[in-house]
Amino acid sequence: MLKKKICMIGTNAVGKTSLVRRFVHCAFSETYESNIGVKMEKKVVKVPADEVTLVLWDLYGEDKFQQIQMSYLRGMDGYLLVADSTRRKTYDDALALQEKVTREIGKFPFVFLLNKCDLANQRDIETGAEGALEQRGWQVRQSSAKTGQHVEESFLWLANEMTAK
Amino acid sequence: MGNNDIFESFLAEQGFALFEYLGDGLFRPIGKFPDWLERIWGTDAARAGMVRLGELSPFLENFLFDAEEFWKSKAHSTLKSGNWTESGANGGATPLEAAALRIDSRRILMVQNFSAAFAEQQRWLQTARDSLLEHEKLMREIQKKEILLHCIVHDLSQPLSAMRGCFNCLTVGDLPDDLRPFVETGQRESYRQEQMIRSVLEAFSADLAGQQAKGDSGSAAVVDLAAGARRVVESFSAAFSEKGVRLQLDPTMDLSRDWLSVGDAARVDRIFGNLLENAMRYSPRSTTVTVGVEDKGNSLNAFVDDEGPGLPKDQSQDKLFALFAKGKDRPGKAGLGLYFCKMTVERWGGKIGAENRTSGGTRFWFRLARASAEAKAQFQETQEAKSAKGDGAGAPTRKGVGKALRTLRILVADDTEVNRELAMELLKKRGHAVVGVEDGRSALVALEKQPFDVVLMDEVMPGMSGVDAMRAIRKREAASGGHQNIIGLTGNATKEDEKRLIDAGMDAFLSKPFDMHRLFDLVESLAADVQLAGAKVGPAVTGPAGAESQPAAPLRANASTESVAKYLARTIGNNPKLIQSLVKSFLADAPKKLSDVHRAIAHQDAEKLAFAAHALKGAMAVFGAAEAVSSAKSLEAMGRAGSLQGASEGFQVLEARLHELEEELQTVKPGALNKANLKTTASARGAARPGGKR
Repeated sequence: MLKKKICMIGTNAVGKTSLVRRFVHCAFSETYESNIGVKMEKKVVKVPADEVTLVLWDLYGEDKFQQIQMSYLRGMDGYLLVADSTRRKTYDDALALQEKVTREIGKFPFVFLLNKCDLANQRDIETGAEGALEQRGWQVRQSSAKTGQHVEESFLWLANEMTAK
Repeated sequence: MGNNDIFESFLAEQGFALFEYLGDGLFRPIGKFPDWLERIWGTDAARAGMVRLGELSPFLENFLFDAEEFWKSKAHSTLKSGNWTESGANGGATPLEAAALRIDSRRILMVQNFSAAFAEQQRWLQTARDSLLEHEKLMREIQKKEILLHCIVHDLSQPLSAMRGCFNCLTVGDLPDDLRPFVETGQRESYRQEQMIRSVLEAFSADLAGQQAKGDSGSAAVVDLAAGARRVVESFSAAFSEKGVRLQLDPTMDLSRDWLSVGDAARVDRIFGNLLENAMRYSPRSTTVTVGVEDKGNSLNAFVDDEGPGLPKDQSQDKLFALFAKGKDRPGKAGLGLYFCKMTVERWGGKIGAENRTSGGTRFWFRLARASAEAKAQFQETQEAKSAKGDGAGAPTRKGVGKALRTLRILVADDTEVNRELAMELLKKRGHAVVGVEDGRSALVALEKQPFDVVLMDEVMPGMSGVDAMRAIRKREAASGGHQNIIGLTGNATKEDEKRLIDAGMDAFLSKPFDMHRLFDLVESLAADVQLAGAKVGPAVTGPAGAESQPAAPLRANASTESVAKYLARTIGNNPKLIQSLVKSFLADAPKKLSDVHRAIAHQDAEKLAFAAHALKGAMAVFGAAEAVSSAKSLEAMGRAGSLQGASEGFQVLEARLHELEEELQTVKPGALNKANLKTTASARGAARPGGKR
């Protein structure tokens, strides 16, 4: 069966592990558990042509305590770039990470998730930010691991995009 | 069991699994295949003689690229993979770490069960990240409050600006004597409120941001406590009188003594004011409230004594001065007043307290250290300078608008109609030609149509903001040359606001509500700079769109080209009295200004040099002394650039030029001024203009 490697990229506490948990196990927990390594998960999904095993590399969030090792991204077929929509800094960090990945690893299909959109009243990213990024050709979604909004759809879009190539 | 077997069993028990790499992705387990690894990768892997680890674990598959490179390099160190978590067949997750190493030329891969250390490391990292998230959250809350605070201050400033403007306008007109005290009280009180708003903004914003820096800038280092006490007594007398309470300055206090302490005047006034408001609430009719200062050796004790009911016996000092603390009876407004007092006094290293007096009533006091000798000397100099400028304590003391020496073309861009109209009215009364617009875009259009000497640009306007309009102007200048003087107007008033506007490209900053004299000084001194620039480079100021403006009155190259008397007659008109007054004032003040420049250079104080040279430059420009002005301008530029190299030489030039000017001015001192000459000049000027009048 076809295998595709997807990396979860973003700073700490933006909800990467929760998105994976929602997608793979259809579950969500309010408790934040800091990830210090790489968590591996797998899920088989259907794409128009076939079935594909998505190997999800849930990388620890980059911050002042831990830097992402770019070697983890080797062999990657696509990635989910994640920011916490209630923390503006994580948005800026995500843009910087995307640049770093493109510069050091190359161009890959990705979806930019502005996560925790269920906390809309705490949004800290200016209205229209998505539009500006979409004009660059980016796939941008407001997601919520809590409600499941745009979670499965984003992984599936990526699966299709990766297998179509 | 042989030694090797024992060692291998020990390693397995300790959570290590060893594999020798055979090439082509194949690994041979060394020793016992640990049970914990069997639970992850299955029984088949454990029983096989050789395994392809890359197929068992995608993480290892990735790491083996690096491991193979490492083995090829024949390095003697160890290459670690970093942590990863592998899920077993039973759903449990095991944290692992792999390491590549060489032993006796054999390529070894060690996989470690990280469970024991993982929990500890995870806990540590979790705590650190939780703290970081909490800190981020707190900072966001602080930012929100700061924004809210700025909005409130901005909103409060707008109507206050209008009120101050109205009072200013009223003082200009012919007011009946019986009304003048009311207008002056309104003027003084609106000034006081302005100071309060600024104090709130600065003090509380600093507090919220957790900026614990002690003290403020050097300019806020010394205060005359006795003068502060006298000011508040004057300010509050009417209100106390209305309540039937007598307010007095301590009659035993010797005002001629030195009552200088650390602190700053505006905030000390507010502390006194808060304590007086408190005393007023609790003072019965026909009692007396006394304000004074006592000498306590190295410190000064300021106090407000009332004859009220006194503090409750169980009153805690901490609670009395706490944030949002309100008295049970006759509470104040927000419970901020005494908190502000405590915060401010403690920031200056002082103490504050309250106690019941033995004779009845309450004493609220605050104690501040005496100012150092050096700080006192600086303070005295500043006071003298203010007094020379007629700018005592920053309060509005100068009367009337007066007429400007030169009519300037001024553009006022402000979306608030009343503020715009008031600024325009004041500037017109001063004798300037003023145009008003209501947003940044209209300002750009107005500048396309005609040149202006100075633009007053409100920071926040609908459509195109003042800052955006200023940037557009600067962009045009980059292409066409020239420089438009722009003064940023804002309702915000902190040093950060000033720095922000100046950094953005404004030439100067004026916080609203503004004092009319500050407005005139700023506008006219900026325009004087333009005039000087025009004199130096030849052509007059160029407008932003490249349109040439009307030429500004050129300075005199030297005494031989035009006498100072003629120059003054040309620029000021036939007004011997005014000219004599200007000359007298200049001759009295110039040595002091020159001394300020000298002192700034001696102390290598660039900021003060810029300020002192600027002040002297402006004073000399009045007499058209181009060379003297140019030498002061060079020193000012050094000060602004923060580089004082060559300043001593520059000072010598300035000193020589100033002496020349002083000698020249002796010729126009009272008695020496030739009225006939002035009349002649004025006649010639009048004749030169179509319809010109004497």
